Amino acid sequence: MLVIRRRAGESLFIGEGVEIKILEVGASQVKLGIEAPKEVTILRSEVRETQQANQAAARQASPELMAEMLKKLRR
Amino acid sequence: MLRCASREFGVIEYDTSTLISFPRGLPGFESERLFVPIEREATKPVLFLQSLVSPDLCFLTLPVEAIDPNYRIALSVDDLNVIGIAAEADKSLRCLALVCAGEKGSPTVNLLGPLVINPETRQGVQAIRDDSDYSVQHPLFPGPEAPKCL
Repeated sequence: MLVIRRRAGESLFIGEGVEIKILEVGASQVKLGIEAPKEVTILRSEVRETQQANQAAARQASPELMAEMLKKLRR
Repeated sequence: MLRCASREFGVIEYDTSTLISFPRGLPGFESERLFVPIEREATKPVLFLQSLVSPDLCFLTLPVEAIDPNYRIALSVDDLNVIGIAAEADKSLRCLALVCAGEKGSPTVNLLGPLVINPETRQGVQAIRDDSDYSVQHPLFPGPEAPKCL
């Protein structure tokens, strides 16, 4: 992984069209500004993880697993 | 009563007043806005959410209180707006966790991004927090070797 130190007010570029600006550095959070072409999808990692989890959840549970799950839940 | 097709349940009858709508869809399923909630005596407390338009899409959910009686989530103003609630309002909301069957028969539940539903408007949103200690893949049944959550 490439590691770069930046201060608030500085920025960096990724490829031709994407600029990431460090707007504010707080005690527990960093505020970023992102300039990117419309076609570039920007997702918070937890949203991306949720997408993947939802897609996995859409594959259905087998009847056996379902039965076992209910047995445990009702105990 | 209207009807829709479900791979899991065959043809199901529903009343439009019981539909749950997700105005923004769900991440990964942005175009899925309407779901028929299905609760069966034999499978309680599981609540199935059958997509109205995709017979193949049926999510299995559990009320978060069935998983963790102390579960708490702080909702963003944005998410509250989606389900038609003023930020300061004190409302009781339904909170459902999506169940994922898991690879080796060890189901997980998404406690980081539960489905939060306003029972009055029947509108829902998948509320994803970035400041919560809950996991996207919370083991439903921690094994004996798994470290215990405190």
